[in-house]
Amino acid sequence: MSDTPQLLDRMCQSILDGDESAAARLATLALEGGVPPLRAIEDGYVRGIREAGALWEEGEFFLPELVTAAQAMKAAMAVLQPALSRDANIRSAGQVVIGTVQGDIHDIGKTLVGTLLTANGFQVRDLGADVPVAAFVEAARELDADLVCASALLTTTMAVQRTLIEALRDAGLTCPVLVGGAPVTARWAEEIGAAGYADSAVSAVERARRLTHAT
Amino acid sequence: MRPEAFADLLDRGILLLDGGMGSMFIAAGLDAGKAPEWWVVEHPDRIADAHAAYADAGADVVHAVTFGANPVKLAAVGLDDRAEEVNRRAVEIARGAVPGDVLVAGDLGPTGKFFPPMGDATGERLRDAFDRQVGWLADAGVDLISIETMYDLREAEAAVEAAHASGLPVLASMTFDRRKRGFFTLVGDRVVPSLGALRRAGADAVGFNCSVESEPMIDLVREAAAGVDAPLVAQPNAGQPRPTPDGVVYDADPGQFVADLLRMVEVGARIVGGCCGTDPAFIAAARRALDSLDAA
Repeated sequence: MSDTPQLLDRMCQSILDGDESAAARLATLALEGGVPPLRAIEDGYVRGIREAGALWEEGEFFLPELVTAAQAMKAAMAVLQPALSRDANIRSAGQVVIGTVQGDIHDIGKTLVGTLLTANGFQVRDLGADVPVAAFVEAARELDADLVCASALLTTTMAVQRTLIEALRDAGLTCPVLVGGAPVTARWAEEIGAAGYADSAVSAVERARRLTHAT
Repeated sequence: MRPEAFADLLDRGILLLDGGMGSMFIAAGLDAGKAPEWWVVEHPDRIADAHAAYADAGADVVHAVTFGANPVKLAAVGLDDRAEEVNRRAVEIARGAVPGDVLVAGDLGPTGKFFPPMGDATGERLRDAFDRQVGWLADAGVDLISIETMYDLREAEAAVEAAHASGLPVLASMTFDRRKRGFFTLVGDRVVPSLGALRRAGADAVGFNCSVESEPMIDLVREAAAGVDAPLVAQPNAGQPRPTPDGVVYDADPGQFVADLLRMVEVGARIVGGCCGTDPAFIAAARRALDSLDAA
C-alpha cells in the first residue's frame, strides 16, 4: 500500500512515545491493509526500540521511557503474533535465560536487559535475582537456551559468574554466556570464559544478536 | 541524637563514615549465596568484628546491617516474618561492637520496588515500609538514620520523610551515573533538584554513594556544592576491580581513594566514607589524612 512508509513511521513513533494503544491500533491497521507482519515489526516497531536504545545511550531516555517503549512493543506484538504464527518465515531470535547470580539481589540492570531482549524478539526467561547456579543450569537445559545472561553487581558476587560458566560446561551445555554488571569488564569476561560482556542494556542486545546468530 | 547536636558535630570537623561490608563478610568465610541480613541472625559475631575493625580504623559512624532490612525487601529474601528482629539485632550488634563515642546509623536502602511504569510501587506503600523500619531502628537506639543507594527521588523522599519523622538526624545519599548530558539516576533524576528535594523533605545532609568511583564523585560533589544548601555526603566505591589468578583486586589503592576523598572535602563534602570495595584500610588511611588536615 502506498502509505506504508508513513504507517511504519507512526509505528516507530508509537514505540518512542510508549503509547500502547497507538501501537496496537497501528498493528491492526497494518494487518487490515495487507502489510506483512514481519515488515511492520522490523521496519516499524523494532526501529522504534532501536531508536529508544540510541536515545538511552544519548542520555535522553531513562528507565521509564525504555519500559514504556517495551510495553508498547508488547502491545503491538500481541496483535501481530497470530498473523506471524501463520508465517512460515518467522524468525526466532533465540531462547535466553537471564538472572542475577546467587548472593546478589541487584535486579535493575538484569531486568532492563531482559525487557529489551524481549522487545527485540528473544524468548526470555527471567529467573530474577539471587539465582542459584543450579537454577541457571536447569533452565538452560530445559529451554535448550541459545544464550545465558548473568548479571553481578558486587565484586564479591562476580566470581559466581565464573562458577556458573564452569557449571554449564560441566553439565555439557555449550551455549554462550553474556556477563554484565557494574564491576564486570571485558577483561573479566575473557578471564572466566564468557562469550561476551555488555556495559549497557542496549549493547547487551547487540551482543545477544551476534552471539545467537553465531550458534 | 538530636539534629541540632549532629549539626554541631559537623561544625567541628569532617565526619568519617565506615566503608563497605561485603568483602569483609566474604573474607570472614560467609556464604556469598545469602542476603547479608541473614548473617545478622546467623553470624552476629562476624558482623561485630567488621564493625569493630571500622571503629578501630577511626570511623566516626558505623552503619548497622539494615540496608536491605525494610519489610518489603526482607520479604524477597524470606525474612519478612523476622523483620523487626533483624533490625533490632543489627543495631544491637553494631552498638555492642564499637566504643561509646562511635555513632551507630540505621541504614535504609531501596525496597527494590519500582514506581510505574516499571512497577506498581506507590509512595504511600514505600513510606509505610520505611515508617516501620525506622520505628524499629529508632526504638533500638540508633543515633541517626543513613539512607543509601537511592535511584528514584520518589522512593528517596518516602525514606527521608519516614526517617525525619523519628526526630533523628538524617543522611540521604543517592546514586547517579555519568551520562552524556551529565549525572542522572536510573530513572532520570538530576543531581541538584533531587538533593534539594531531599533537603526540603527533612534530610540533615544529602549526597552520594556507590555507582561511581572516587574520581568522578569529585565532580558530583562539585555540582551539588554549587546548587544545594546542605551539608554534603560522599561515599564512593573503590576503583575498578580487576581479576587476577588470586581473585579480584582493586586498581584503586587506599592512597588514591583518600587523595580523591580530600578533593571532595575541598569542593564541599562534610561527611565522607566508602562504599563497595572499600575496607578498613581505606577508612584508616582516610582517618590519618583527615587528622593531618585538622592539624595543619
